[in-house]
Amino acid sequence: MVPRRMAHPKDRSGLTRRQLLHGAAGTVVGAGVLGVVAGCENTTQSIGGGTGETNKFVEAKPTGPKGLPLPRPDNSVTWAITEDNPAILEGRALEKGPLTIYNYADYVWPGLVKRFEKQFGTKVQIATYNSSDEAIAKLASGAVNFDVVIGLSGSNIDNLIAQQLLQPLNHSYLPNLEKNIWPELQDPFYDRGSRYTVPYVVWLDGIGWRNDKIKTDIAGMAVPWDIFWEAKPYRGKVGLLDDKRDALSMPMQRDALHSGATPDLNTEDPKLIAKAGADLAQLAGISNIKVTITDYQTLAEAKTWLHHSWSGDVLGAAIFYLPKGTKPDVLSFWGPDKNGVVQNDFLCVGRKSKRPVLAHTFVNFMLNEKNAYDNFVQQNGYLPPQNAIDGDALVKQGLIPKSLATAVVRPEQFSFNQELLQLSVAGERLWDDAWSKFKAG
Amino acid sequence: MSSRWTWRLLALPGVVWLSVFFLAAFYAVLAVAFGNQDSFSAPVPFWNPLDWNVGYALAVLRDIWSGGQYLTVFIRTFVFVAIAMVISLAIGYPVAYFAARHAGKRRGLVLLALILPFWINYLMRMLAWINLLSPDGWGTRVLHTVGIDRVFIWLGLLTSEGGWLDGQPSTVIIALVYGYVPFLILPLYASLDRIDQRQIEAARDLGASPRGAFFRVTLPLSVPGILAGSVLVALPMFGDYYTPDLVSASPKTNLIGNQIDQLTRQGSEKVTGAVLTIILALALLVLMVYYLRSTRSADDLAEA
Repeated sequence: MVPRRMAHPKDRSGLTRRQLLHGAAGTVVGAGVLGVVAGCENTTQSIGGGTGETNKFVEAKPTGPKGLPLPRPDNSVTWAITEDNPAILEGRALEKGPLTIYNYADYVWPGLVKRFEKQFGTKVQIATYNSSDEAIAKLASGAVNFDVVIGLSGSNIDNLIAQQLLQPLNHSYLPNLEKNIWPELQDPFYDRGSRYTVPYVVWLDGIGWRNDKIKTDIAGMAVPWDIFWEAKPYRGKVGLLDDKRDALSMPMQRDALHSGATPDLNTEDPKLIAKAGADLAQLAGISNIKVTITDYQTLAEAKTWLHHSWSGDVLGAAIFYLPKGTKPDVLSFWGPDKNGVVQNDFLCVGRKSKRPVLAHTFVNFMLNEKNAYDNFVQQNGYLPPQNAIDGDALVKQGLIPKSLATAVVRPEQFSFNQELLQLSVAGERLWDDAWSKFKAG
Repeated sequence: MSSRWTWRLLALPGVVWLSVFFLAAFYAVLAVAFGNQDSFSAPVPFWNPLDWNVGYALAVLRDIWSGGQYLTVFIRTFVFVAIAMVISLAIGYPVAYFAARHAGKRRGLVLLALILPFWINYLMRMLAWINLLSPDGWGTRVLHTVGIDRVFIWLGLLTSEGGWLDGQPSTVIIALVYGYVPFLILPLYASLDRIDQRQIEAARDLGASPRGAFFRVTLPLSVPGILAGSVLVALPMFGDYYTPDLVSASPKTNLIGNQIDQLTRQGSEKVTGAVLTIILALALLVLMVYYLRSTRSADDLAEA
């Protein structure tokens, strides 16, 4: 039970889910009774759950599936390149298409895909997933096989490596990585040497609000997160991100801001996690908080006024989702300068890609400055970590209103904020339990 | 001999369908609920009942026993569904009664008018309601003009004018009623339509008032229809999760379906999700048995 579940902005709750099973009763009783009687096992300990290495001289650290280390800024990991899964050799010729891509829905601008097709004379086929969980389960089952995988992140990295779902990258095909991408993300602690992943887009967890409805200067508050606990006047118009890692880490950040301490937003301390859950539960009473990831629509349409938000969603709201006649500067965003959540996700090549050169070429194409910029402003709203894309310039050009200037992530924020990363099997369940308790109301 | 086999062959598609899509699928849920999960949070079903692991089921039962989160959600689900069913009956019975007894030649038209909106996908209708009930939506304005929102606020069912989508239990219940009421009306209509007109005439001839005839003849004879309709709407309501998600999204209106959805779709508690599915199915089984027994006795009553 390590996390497949992940803090990704595009994880969708909602409309595409399966119906539930009903009914079936006859078998259940018989079988259930039989099971209880025959049950030789009574455990909730998962199979092969990693426990730390045992050495009496060292405090054991939690580990991921198959005992893999959990990457942290102070515990960087270089993933090995194994004999059975080598990178492709340099200088190979481009294969014929079609190129197959696995991605969240609406997470790449279709115009850009057309541009790639035209430039390289190939076809591109995109299949979509709704949650990182679903994506990893399908990739691991071997039922699907893609050249490029987009949108997974550090909260799944051990699962991707342990199940060998990715192919190592040959950087000779990716000149744009070194040329264009922020130095902070060139050699990330979760994948030293960018052996399996390159960054796609970045975002910050913060507060999005309608400044035409809420007059409080939230950004000016000593602890802006407190606004959620003072949101009684906005009852029914307040939202929280429907993602256990993002949501539970919010009260942790608030506590840290109050006490001046540095929080560990990847903690596996049961007390801290339970307290975060209890703090969130107060919000149900204070503002009857909604738990959604549709803030890019609801803020734009003023159906919510105050929302715990991914920066990319608020930018997306300003750029694409506002109704006619509403100006983008009614939206405001605040994000923490330090001790908050900053995250990036990946562009990867699938382990069993049959067109690895074409796949590398596509990744490099996405890292191209103009392509990345167009993807950002035409549809996505999530910022690519490109040296040449300057947040201040975007504000000056009027593309992004001043009130949202802080929604544009800066490279240095990766030094002072934290990414939500893969947890151990047991740690993940602590977060899941606290979350489902909160969601039960 | 040959005709016997013909009849058996006719049953074959149904049996295959049931075996594959119901029995096998349900057994898979059981195997997951009494199985375990691996270190990637993927469920590991235990197919052999002799190997079954009851740890996850016991953990859920312990939570329910100690008044934990799952008990809260189960109780909320039962209360919401019960209220929604009563309202559905209050709306559905008069409509079915009218269609069956007073619509005359136009009954086909009346039924068609009732069913027509339901040719549109459930989700589309719910999304439409979101727009209608948003603070400046048409529905909200109409309800305000008529004064219904003030009545709701006075009753404590709404916290502010126009706040229908602010995470209100009442909105979720109304949405459930709207979503499922036709499934109640149709069987009710069928059962009311089947009542022998002469029995009512006999009651009137023997001196019963119209009201007396209704309560002593029509209502008892329509009990099987009421029960069938109630079961038909209760089952999908118990499993519903998208309605509260769409019109509320507040933890205070989360139903058991939401909990199962959340646990099984992602995260590290998929086995627990399967256990909740089984418990819900068991609860529904109890209701089904009650329904079957009451319809049988109602049928006996009708025959007698």
